[in-house]
Amino acid sequence: MIEFNNIKKVYGAKFSLSIPDLVISEKELVGLVGNNGAGKTTLLSLGLDLIQPTTGSVSSRGIMVSDGDDWKSYTGSYLNESFLIPFLTPMEFLGFIGRLHGKNRSDIMEFLDQNSGFYMENIGSTKYIRELSAGNKNKIGILAALLPDPRIVILDEPFSNLDPGSRSWLKAKLMKLHREGVTIIISSHDLNHVTEICSRILLLDNGNIIKDIKTNEETLQELENYFNVMIPS
Amino acid sequence: MHQLLTHQRKEKLRSPFWTKNILLNILLGFVGFWLFIMALSAGLAAIRIIAEFYSDLDATEVFTGLLFYFFVFDLISRFLIQKLPAMSIQPYRTLPVSRMKLLHYPLIRSVFSFFNLLPFFLIMPFFIMVVCAGKPAFFSLAWIITLVCFIGVNNFLNFSIKKYFIKKPVLILLLFFITGTLLFLDLQEIFQFSPWFAKFTMYIAGNPPLVILPVSMVILAYRLAYSTMKKNYYPEEAPGSRTITGGFSFLSRYGETGELLGIELKMILRNKRPRSVMIFSLIFLGYGLLLYDDLDNIIKLLMGGFLLTFAFALNYGQFLFSWEGTYFDSYLANKISAYHYIRSKYLFFAAAGIIGFLLTLPYILISPKIFFVNLSMLLYNAGVSSILLLFLCTNNSTSIDLGKSQFMNYQGTGAIQFLMIIPLIGIPIGIHIIFLILGIRHYTIPGLGILGLIGIIFSRYLLQMVVNLFLSRKYTMASGFRKIN
Repeated sequence: MIEFNNIKKVYGAKFSLSIPDLVISEKELVGLVGNNGAGKTTLLSLGLDLIQPTTGSVSSRGIMVSDGDDWKSYTGSYLNESFLIPFLTPMEFLGFIGRLHGKNRSDIMEFLDQNSGFYMENIGSTKYIRELSAGNKNKIGILAALLPDPRIVILDEPFSNLDPGSRSWLKAKLMKLHREGVTIIISSHDLNHVTEICSRILLLDNGNIIKDIKTNEETLQELENYFNVMIPS
Repeated sequence: MHQLLTHQRKEKLRSPFWTKNILLNILLGFVGFWLFIMALSAGLAAIRIIAEFYSDLDATEVFTGLLFYFFVFDLISRFLIQKLPAMSIQPYRTLPVSRMKLLHYPLIRSVFSFFNLLPFFLIMPFFIMVVCAGKPAFFSLAWIITLVCFIGVNNFLNFSIKKYFIKKPVLILLLFFITGTLLFLDLQEIFQFSPWFAKFTMYIAGNPPLVILPVSMVILAYRLAYSTMKKNYYPEEAPGSRTITGGFSFLSRYGETGELLGIELKMILRNKRPRSVMIFSLIFLGYGLLLYDDLDNIIKLLMGGFLLTFAFALNYGQFLFSWEGTYFDSYLANKISAYHYIRSKYLFFAAAGIIGFLLTLPYILISPKIFFVNLSMLLYNAGVSSILLLFLCTNNSTSIDLGKSQFMNYQGTGAIQFLMIIPLIGIPIGIHIIFLILGIRHYTIPGLGILGLIGIIFSRYLLQMVVNLFLSRKYTMASGFRKIN
């Protein structure tokens, strides 16, 4: 579904991400783990054509993402705050995204009804998005990513800043989408979350994928071992 | 205190604006230098002029009276331009730095401002050459102390005025109106403040122990500024509910382009900096009054037509894409076609031009000729200038903080903003010169109109060229926007 072909992204002299060959097939729920600066966000940004690879290309359903806008109609994404329009109210923003995907007001209301367990009650408030707390911004971004019934969902650290209830809800939601055949890529620092829901886990270290695991019972232990090595004694 | 100063210096030196934008900084430095020279020569000229025209009066008193106007002007320009050294105290609040220090710091820092240096260039020549030379030592000392105190009063008063009025634009207008009226009364010699000001200063200088009066005024202004700062110590609470100007939903009917236009309009209305650009552009509509004195001068007519129908598009459009810097990624990752995106900008320029054209229709009262000139310039701007501006703006890659004020704000300004104006104004004037050489100068205006029409007819094709350029530049633009200033 998404293919990274011979990708290299060089930032200055220090950091570079290199992915010789990575194929994410349909219906996978992929979790990216790794320390800060390992290249998780860079990888996701490349998948969304937000940054240009130094060499190589990314394709989605066989078409290069930099060559057209087709992938945008079936890809929902939220990486960070710059995906939100700060001076709109949450409803205006969701309305805007919805209309871009040809949804009308009642479609949007229906979507919100279905997902009422996730968003805060005052979604219809007159606050601008820029005035919301970090957690609530995150929720709006995730809702906007899910709104267009995407076949591919890309989220960067979706669990950060969320309250415990919303975390559980989001976990259940992602698993449900996974069962329905949606391809999902998320990154997270919470190994428990990742091993619990993901079917495949990629461990990034300094710009390289050093582990590509099909999740099983030992995965959590395996990852914990990797990260524990770093603890200074 | 020393640490705070160091941090602020680092903040200045390390901001990408300072390091990147050498051209702009040289220009600003030059303007500052020029102002100093102007102040100095005004001070020197005052000595000669007063000696010549007011030889029967006391020169010092006359000069002091004139300084009154300078101080009023000084306060107004401080209010509009001077940036308070408001180093963000937020990160220090939880550190073991006393609250008093954090509050006194910006106040003391403000003393070392360009605005406090400028008056000295104006006053010093007169002080040295006239006051010191002709008056007793104590008188001179008291005179200069009093004036320095007035500079200080202005400096600290500005804090309170700014903090107090910034949230109430109506009061600002009222303040300007009152100041304007008082100045008018003064200049019309109906009721004059300047002689009182002069008498007051002269009286204190004559009785040196009274300098305690102006000194205590400075202290008072300082205390006032301090307490204003104290009140503003806590960050603002999030505003409660407000009514949302829904509007623009009619634009949704026009598909993606209309949708994007709606967002852009909301951006302008709901954010401080684009809003002030809009208000600022209204001033340009008055340019006609300056330019329409000679209706046979084609260059003047041409410039008038250009500015009146393009002022907003130019003021706003020079930072196109930069306005959207903070949420540019959302446009890239969402289902928005680049063509519709660029087309929405194009239509926006055209609409702004039409509004400018309609607003300046009253100029027809001067001459109906203006109607035809502005109409062809409107067509020219819609067909040529707008597309040219779009081309040029794909070079913008600095994000703009929408919440800041427009005055003396150079965020997002780069060399390109200075160079932009050359082709935009140069091409119509160049065409005029060519027509002049060919001896068909009267065809300039209709010629530009026809050129504009051709541009409009082929706009789809031209916009596609802009889109191709935009697509090849979008990564550079986006990575620039992601850098925080």
